[in-house]
Amino acid sequence: MSVADPTMTDLSGAHPEIALEGGRKARKNLTRSRIWFSVGVLVLVFAVICGRLIQLGIERPADPEYLRANSELTLARPALVDRNGEPLALDIEAPSLYAEPKNIIDIDEAVEKLHSVLPQLSTDFLRQRLDGDEGFVWLERELSPAMQEKVLQLGLPGVDFVNETKRYYPGGSDASHLLGTVNIDNQGISGIERYLDRKVLNTDAERPDQVQLSIDLRVQHALHAELEDSMTRYQAIAAAGVLINVKTGEVMGLVSLPDFDPNEPATALEEGRINRITAGTFELGSTFKTVTFAGALDSGAVHITDRFDATHGVRFGRFVIDDFHGQHRVLSVPEIFKYSSNVGTIHLMQAWGKDNYRAFLHRMGFDEPLPIELPETKRSTIPSDFSEIVAATASFGHGISVTPLHMASAIAAFVNDGVYLPATLFPRSTEEAAEIGRHVISPEASALVRYLLRLNAMEGTATHMNRIADGYLPGGKTGTAEKVENGRYVSNKNFNAFAAAFPLDNPQYALVVVIDEPKRENPQSGDTAGWNAGEVAGRIIKRVAPMLGIAPEFDESVDQSLVPAVLR
Amino acid sequence: MIRTLNVILFFTSVLALAGVYVLKYQTETIADEKVAIQRDIAQQNTNLSVLRADWAYLSQPSHIEPIVIRHEDSLELKVISAKQYGSITDIPMRPQQVNDEALTRLLEALDAGVDPIGDKLNELIVQ
Repeated sequence: MSVADPTMTDLSGAHPEIALEGGRKARKNLTRSRIWFSVGVLVLVFAVICGRLIQLGIERPADPEYLRANSELTLARPALVDRNGEPLALDIEAPSLYAEPKNIIDIDEAVEKLHSVLPQLSTDFLRQRLDGDEGFVWLERELSPAMQEKVLQLGLPGVDFVNETKRYYPGGSDASHLLGTVNIDNQGISGIERYLDRKVLNTDAERPDQVQLSIDLRVQHALHAELEDSMTRYQAIAAAGVLINVKTGEVMGLVSLPDFDPNEPATALEEGRINRITAGTFELGSTFKTVTFAGALDSGAVHITDRFDATHGVRFGRFVIDDFHGQHRVLSVPEIFKYSSNVGTIHLMQAWGKDNYRAFLHRMGFDEPLPIELPETKRSTIPSDFSEIVAATASFGHGISVTPLHMASAIAAFVNDGVYLPATLFPRSTEEAAEIGRHVISPEASALVRYLLRLNAMEGTATHMNRIADGYLPGGKTGTAEKVENGRYVSNKNFNAFAAAFPLDNPQYALVVVIDEPKRENPQSGDTAGWNAGEVAGRIIKRVAPMLGIAPEFDESVDQSLVPAVLR
Repeated sequence: MIRTLNVILFFTSVLALAGVYVLKYQTETIADEKVAIQRDIAQQNTNLSVLRADWAYLSQPSHIEPIVIRHEDSLELKVISAKQYGSITDIPMRPQQVNDEALTRLLEALDAGVDPIGDKLNELIVQ
């Protein structure tokens, strides 16, 4: 380009005053533009490099495959602790074996070596798993640390461990129905575990480290041990019990036998292992008379001083209802309760009115779903309108099925100055309870129920219980119901219930115990509820009362103070 | 002028190169250490969770009860009965029995400059 531009020469001819650029100057300009060009390119390259650097600095590298698996699997569940902080369920970390087939060099060697250490994995299974290009396959979940060590000793590439959390229930079957179970992926499938998944864990709220329940582990164990004892003692097919704090509605212990080991969730599915306290409805027999008495005395239609004629049975068409412990005379209200007279109870209910009775059952929540946090619940089926005969049988607990927890809540309300509290499995303070408490009967009627329950323990059908739990001022009502088979009552198969509260000078706890098909303990004993359910309740009260800080009281004047003024 | 600048730039580049090289390897070492520590923490957490579970199992009433029953006879353990509970107010106060005569004699001795208790103690120390 040493020759000047021809166009320039042309122009220079036309305009002689314009100076011609010399060759040196043109070269200089050219060099300068080349330099600027190079500078431009370099700036551009550096800008790209800088940009990339910034980009890399900002961007977080994606987790490697094994780490992703890790974060999903080790999603810890909160530990479950009892009201005193004792653990009921906790997580253990267990190593799980996985493989990355794309990183395995010699499949035959890997299959052979793994099979030698883990014989439970067949060679076919291993070959099928390891053959391929996947980045991640499970080989075996939740191994022991010893097994992990053995596999690591093999030194196989592309085979590694990830820690998975496994749910562990240290108490075994002690609180099985209450706690529930989790599946292999640590998701709750029953009991409180399921409730937690739905209400706490699957929400945006922060996952808690631990969740406290209202139950007391010692009480829970005592309940479990005593009911287990009753199963063998009376050769029963099932037994269940629930203890609630009457002042707060907190469940202190809940046991239903036969139960299962939550560490082996499959055992929960076996026949007959339902939670009888919340998911089973039963005819609780004469324990239901407590409800009838509480409502009738509260209404004012019946007074504690009234007397009813129980000389003859009550006739409904071709049916005649008569008494089991028949006295066949005129009975006072406390006597009807004490002798558990069906006839007297029917008269008492009729004096009150069957529609009032039905309305009272609704007020007590018997026809409502249980307000408990367990997913396993059952609704009672109570007709919305009572005929004369249905009302009559229902008044002494026949033909009306409710869950034992319904009953426990009702008893709790009756002795707690008539304040009904929905049962809960989570801690609740007395202040919180005061806010949600609902008055169902008057404090005066509540005092009368306390008297009746205590009277029945001292003189009536609950004396066996009182003898065992002497000193803790217990009171209770027995209930013996014949079981229904093929639509008719079978007289030699009973379903026995016992509803109790203690100590009655200052009621703190309500207890309901049910025993399915108990046999006589020995030829001298009976098979009605007082002999079995009552005695079990007595043993439970005797055992748990000291744990719950209830001091024994042997002063007879306390019993006297429970007697209403009009009867002294 | 340009030459000195070039020389300076050259040495700076060499230094920077060496620096980046050292930094890279340092980072790798630290990253390795971090992974090692993380593994250690994970291992310790695993051990901790197992120990916690062990403790929870060993302190369960359902675990302790059979042990108590097994040793009931040799340790002469009995379940406390309701009659055995009492309150602190049930315990009578210690009866007020002051040996006035002896006290008066001691006080008189002290007034007279004789300390019988001190003398006894001194005797013991000498022995």
